[in-house]
Amino acid sequence: MRKLSISVVFAAMLTAGPVTTAFAASSVPINAIGVENEYADVISQVGGQYVRVQAVETDPNTDPHTFEASPKVAREIAAAQLIVENGVGYDAWADKIMSASARPNRKVINVQTLLGLPDNTANPHLWYDPKTMPAVAKAIAADLAALQPAQAAYFHANADKFIASLEPWNAAIAAFKVKYGQTPIAVTEPVADYMLEAMGFNILTPFSLQKAIMDGTDPAPQDVTTQNDLFATNRVKVFAYNQQVTDTLTKSFLDESRKAGIPVVGVYETMPTPGYTYQSWMLAEVAALEKALTNKVSTETLQK
Amino acid sequence: MPTLFSIIVEPGFFTSEPVRTAAVIGAAAAIVSGVVGVFTVIRGQSFAGHSLADVSSAGGSAAFLFGINPLLGFLGMGVLAAMSMELVRADHASERDLVTGVVTGAGLGVAALFLYLDMTTSSTTGAAVTIMFGSMFAIPASIVPLALTVGISALLAVGLLYRPLLLSSLDPDLAAVRGVPVRLIGLLHLIVVAMAVALSAITVGAILSTGLLIGPAAIALHLAKRPGLAILLAAAIGIAATWGGILIAYDSYEWTGGHGWPVSFCIVALIFLAYVVVAQTGLRHWRLLPRVVSARTQRAG
Repeated sequence: MRKLSISVVFAAMLTAGPVTTAFAASSVPINAIGVENEYADVISQVGGQYVRVQAVETDPNTDPHTFEASPKVAREIAAAQLIVENGVGYDAWADKIMSASARPNRKVINVQTLLGLPDNTANPHLWYDPKTMPAVAKAIAADLAALQPAQAAYFHANADKFIASLEPWNAAIAAFKVKYGQTPIAVTEPVADYMLEAMGFNILTPFSLQKAIMDGTDPAPQDVTTQNDLFATNRVKVFAYNQQVTDTLTKSFLDESRKAGIPVVGVYETMPTPGYTYQSWMLAEVAALEKALTNKVSTETLQK
Repeated sequence: MPTLFSIIVEPGFFTSEPVRTAAVIGAAAAIVSGVVGVFTVIRGQSFAGHSLADVSSAGGSAAFLFGINPLLGFLGMGVLAAMSMELVRADHASERDLVTGVVTGAGLGVAALFLYLDMTTSSTTGAAVTIMFGSMFAIPASIVPLALTVGISALLAVGLLYRPLLLSSLDPDLAAVRGVPVRLIGLLHLIVVAMAVALSAITVGAILSTGLLIGPAAIALHLAKRPGLAILLAAAIGIAATWGGILIAYDSYEWTGGHGWPVSFCIVALIFLAYVVVAQTGLRHWRLLPRVVSARTQRAG
């Protein structure tokens, strides 16, 4: 009787589909970490049920540039089999923790290295570049397949699915460029510059000012004057405002742009959660920029 | 064709709003620091002055955290530290140094906590650099009225305290004999130092505000025989260094291809160079001050 009931349960599990296969194939999911939550999102889309993903940088109210790891984060990183980090000095603390807790067979994807970017790359916000995530997804699939060869086909298929799902975003960028190419824009720091450039925007904020705000150093007064003039003389059509790096200076720019009636679009260092995937977040940014140009409507924060 | 003037002063200097705000607040900080600094140097309280600046950084970082005016943050914590230093203090100079050192350590520890919270729970990237080393060209113009109020109050306070403060600074024993409330005057002096430090903390930063407090006063005391003249000189030297530093920082944008040097560095470098020059030229009237004092003491006696 006891024997019978076990076999019944087992049969039921087999017929229940993918969930049972997962259970049967591997009861231990791969531990993975996306240092920034946008990378964690891609890992979970590629790894599906076979990964347990954690994100370290998730808080949209803080600046990841100045993140300090807690002992809890150090433990999670020590236990992870796959880690995706941004590089370009953006999350250098993660490298320190990894070298302090060496783990054989740990797969580390450094997006900077993956894309072959030099250390002196001026703009570390790689996830806004349309070229970044397809390469990251492929690398994730390859590493997951190495960790769990039985599911290789599943991972590669998911990566392809993910890359295909970026098509609406790429199409929106291309359409935007045709319709609004060379639109002048002001920014606080280079967080979304890669995407803005792909969209054909003409970024008028001096890069030295963007860098000073990003690094938290004293801005040059010439640059502050230039930026204020962009608003005062209505030379820009939209203002991309990083919601995660704010100080009295960026707030004064926000005031100036509101005063001049220039619409503001919020951009982010980490994926706004909940409710967004990488694809829907990027699409929402393009939609917000388009809304700013067509209806002069601000989208200061992305909310769902 | 570029004139000599346009070579020294890069275009746009006088019309730039960040420059104007920095010049006004910097001048206020320089005047108050120079005036108060002379007393601080005579009293041998340079360390206490530096300590107040360090502790006030806790107030500055708290202001970032709670979104209040940074000047009020620096001022509030500075006054609190001044009071705790003066109230806990012992009469021996060595023990006074000890209390000052302990208060400084505690204050900087609190600053470390607030800065950590600033950077991990709110979105202020440059908090540490701004508080410690200043961000003069990022000061919002809206802070000017409050800064001027603090500056004028500090100068009025020094004006009212002038005679008893000078006497108790030069000769505390004589001051006590003549009925000057030496400890109260000492406390009031430290509170005025806290005001001076708060003003220079929002311009050159909490750590570097010592440069503005002590440097011009030390130079002036080398050059001037009389305390009144030393005070005027210290204020003038402070303003010259501050405006000169702002100009160098502004112009450095052209030399460095748009990077620019930190304005705090330029100001403190000018003060340091001036001190080296003055100290080398042998004009040491500072040494004469005790003679002035003894002359007065004799007259008084």
